[in-house]
Amino acid sequence: MSAAPAVDAARNFGPALSLRPKAKNLTLGTLLTWVFVAAALLWTVVPLLWMLLGSFKGSGDVTSADPMWFFTPTGQNYVNLFTGANNLSPYLINSIIAAVGSAVIATVLGTLGGYGLARTAFKGKKSLSFWFISTRMAPIAAVVLPLFLVFRFAGLLDTLPGLILAYLSFNLPFAIWIMSAFFEAIPPSLEESAKVSGCSPWQTFWYVSLPLTKAGMVTTAVLCLVFAWNDYAFATVISGPNSQTLPIAATQLVTQTGVDWGQLTAIGTIVVVPMILVGLAVRKWLVTGLTLGAVTGE
Amino acid sequence: MSVSRTEVQASVQPDRATRPAGSRKITFTGWLMAPGITLLGVLSIIPLVMLILMSFSKVRLLGGLRLEFAGLDNWARAFGDVELWKSWATTLAFFVSTLGIELVLGVAIAVALNRLVRGRGLVLPLILLPMFVAPSIVGLLGRYLLDPTFGLYANLLQSIGITQDVLGHPVSAFAAVVLMDVWEWTPLIALITLAGLSGVNPSVLEAASLDGASEWKKFWHMVLPSIRPILLVAILIRSMDAVRYFDIIYVTTNGGPADATKIIPVRLYEAAFRFFDLGYAAVIGIMMLVLTILIARFFVRLMGEKEEN
Repeated sequence: MSAAPAVDAARNFGPALSLRPKAKNLTLGTLLTWVFVAAALLWTVVPLLWMLLGSFKGSGDVTSADPMWFFTPTGQNYVNLFTGANNLSPYLINSIIAAVGSAVIATVLGTLGGYGLARTAFKGKKSLSFWFISTRMAPIAAVVLPLFLVFRFAGLLDTLPGLILAYLSFNLPFAIWIMSAFFEAIPPSLEESAKVSGCSPWQTFWYVSLPLTKAGMVTTAVLCLVFAWNDYAFATVISGPNSQTLPIAATQLVTQTGVDWGQLTAIGTIVVVPMILVGLAVRKWLVTGLTLGAVTGE
Repeated sequence: MSVSRTEVQASVQPDRATRPAGSRKITFTGWLMAPGITLLGVLSIIPLVMLILMSFSKVRLLGGLRLEFAGLDNWARAFGDVELWKSWATTLAFFVSTLGIELVLGVAIAVALNRLVRGRGLVLPLILLPMFVAPSIVGLLGRYLLDPTFGLYANLLQSIGITQDVLGHPVSAFAAVVLMDVWEWTPLIALITLAGLSGVNPSVLEAASLDGASEWKKFWHMVLPSIRPILLVAILIRSMDAVRYFDIIYVTTNGGPADATKIIPVRLYEAAFRFFDLGYAAVIGIMMLVLTILIARFFVRLMGEKEEN
């Protein structure tokens, strides 16, 4: 068995499905299907489209009592975000550092750990896996509460390293678990033959297994990035004036007297668009990733 | 990334050198796991111990952090707190309604997408979009859409005669936050179901059609049973998320009106960071944690069963 089918099997969760009814009762059935799909599309897309439109509306248009689909677009909201009194740049930089930092660390440590988890049989492996998954799934509120005290004690409140560590508390177990699912999809026979031909364990890992899980690493990194970038609960508690991220900036706009919905929709767009782009880039592996590999191979 | 052979050899050397000498047997894969496990240990065990300590203490923040032992005070208070149990009930109601709607809609969307012969490549990415939106932004967007004077959705509702402020009344506010979660996570269920549908053997379905089985019968008796394991995973994943759920409610209703949307995480935040009642909040945190661990046990058991097959 070569590597290719196994890897194909691991990635075979994308849109490429084989079950397609022959277009027999084309008329009514297909029509109803399309009506339903169109409704679903409207339901998912309209709010996002409305946000995007709002971000290009002038101050009068954005809160017009009569919702406007057609208007004279302006880039003023975006300009204001980066030039006004509340410049968004520091928030943006904080968001990038915290999210990318935790995604990179989680992916590196998660790849090493995931390989270890996939390739060793030892006593207590089950408990270890269980510990990973319960850490990943631990309620944020229950984690952030003691972290707040620990970080306060350690002087990590309102620092970017603190925020990165906080994000690692959910990204690292996620990365280990999902990477081990990707490594498990590689047939062990490949590694055995590498070992037979004289590769050290590290060489086997580095030259044989690692290249086969490139897609897995990218997926892991992207999902970690999305989780950290989208976080609001940790950032409200752990960050402060020096480390606040974009979602915090967005919600702060609301609490000030009189919400500037033009600016708010612009921030929303800035927060959402990059994650949609990277998320769609890994959509083939989303099912594996978001179910922690639980439905791989079914 | 290219690493020369000699470098690799060099990096392997210390590992090899220590192994025969040391009596503790740490294998190669053990070394690979060590950094991750150590960091995770620091990040999860210290907070866990802290959380347990806090739950038995009166936590003082002013003038330096102090934990004063308070025995079972916090625990007794939590178990006798009617408001807290109401929050658990709200959490349960929230969980049942979000997951119920998401399952029905998600499966329906997956089946519909699966029937599409053309256009699926275009439709699927669009359907998936909400999953990547930060929940706090979902909440803010919800407020924008539901604003009674200029909101697009409020405007639609007004045109069919519903003129009340949606987020201002208990029932409609609850429905609104449920639908925001449904908006965000139905795509995940649809995606998972779609993956499951690919495992259904088309020739069996075809045979059933030849025997004259109706679409509904085929779905109920053949498709649904075969995607059940996948749906179960989806349900477990979503139920763990439901215990974590926080952002949308915090930025839309913050638990109100009249506590209609005060699910457990919101109550914990309120106790901890508004009233600074950290010991009491710790008890709520432990309750949530126990629930998550129970769900995680189901999940892992399910995974184990799958591996044995």
